[in-house]
Amino acid sequence: MAHQAHAYHMVDPSPWPLTGAISALLMTSGLATWFVYKTTTLLFLGTTLLLLTMFQWWRLIIRESTFQGHHTTPVQKGLRYGMVLFITSEVFFFIGFFWAFYHSSLAPAIELGGLWPPTGITPLDPFEVPLLNTAVPLASGVTVTWAHHSIMEGARKPALQSLTLTVLLGLYFTALQAMEYYEAPFTLADGVYGCTFFVATGFHGLHVIIGTTFSMVCLLPHTHYHFTSNHHFGFDAAAWYWHFVAVVWLFLYISIYWWGS
Amino acid sequence: MYYKFSDFTQKLTGSAPLAAYSPQGLRLGVPAESPAMIFATPTKLVSEAQATVEYLGANKVPDFQRLFQASDSIPVHLKRGLPDRLLYRTTMALTLGGALYCLVALYITAQPRNK
Repeated sequence: MAHQAHAYHMVDPSPWPLTGAISALLMTSGLATWFVYKTTTLLFLGTTLLLLTMFQWWRLIIRESTFQGHHTTPVQKGLRYGMVLFITSEVFFFIGFFWAFYHSSLAPAIELGGLWPPTGITPLDPFEVPLLNTAVPLASGVTVTWAHHSIMEGARKPALQSLTLTVLLGLYFTALQAMEYYEAPFTLADGVYGCTFFVATGFHGLHVIIGTTFSMVCLLPHTHYHFTSNHHFGFDAAAWYWHFVAVVWLFLYISIYWWGS
Repeated sequence: MYYKFSDFTQKLTGSAPLAAYSPQGLRLGVPAESPAMIFATPTKLVSEAQATVEYLGANKVPDFQRLFQASDSIPVHLKRGLPDRLLYRTTMALTLGGALYCLVALYITAQPRNK
């Protein structure tokens, strides 16, 4: 193995950051060519390349950590700090959208009729599907905690079941939101209400999909015995991200759905 | 005065005796070895307890550990041989081809439209 006098991980060069960067280029220019010329080739190519990059990069991390043992305690500490800082940056990302919402809704402009919701907008009833959509992330927070404790105790079957339940609840939430989007009586183009509503809930939905994918990806290493009872950082990161997504929904629900109706 | 190394500030800071730095593995009353890693064990009924219980396939992690720790200076992302190479080459082909295609497409879209 590497002969180093420290516990840190000096990563070997790999091609995946380059392929990831190129995939970002292809996806963004693909979006542009799709908008202008209605061709999806570049976009499709970029998405394929992104998926290939993600698969190979995370496979590489698993090889370096589980199979080669590079993730010592200091390395894991650094990864934890990294994840916390990333989630913090995402919190600020959402703060921007909440700022926009409160800016428009606390002192509604005269063009909206001087009230919130604006004249002509029929908001969604917060005690129908949105309330179910609140119970679902709360339940999935319970199941992900259950999964965590099962992993820590080495109980394989309960961990598998609770992690699968978490993923299913995440998919259920996405399906419900998609249905709500389809049935909503207002659109993104309906003034500042539609804009703040769909941008905030839309980005949240994207984060739900990311979190669900993260948890799904954790299922695979778990079935292959990669997690040990005291070293399972991949799962910890997924669980933190998932809790963050659930908390953002709670804020969204209380601000936009409930107070804003 | 007792000291500990603070991870956050990356400096030595004063600390209580119990939290003070002690050399790796040297703790009073604690054995020197790290706790045994508990790979998940399946829950099993008393009636079906056997010497080794398999659930969803055997644990292949030790085999992979041996494979990936072989010192043959092959980079980690190619260490598994043919499947790794195929996937890498496909990805690289898409990357370079895609980048070229993208530049061409952007050049075309940048052309002014003839009225």
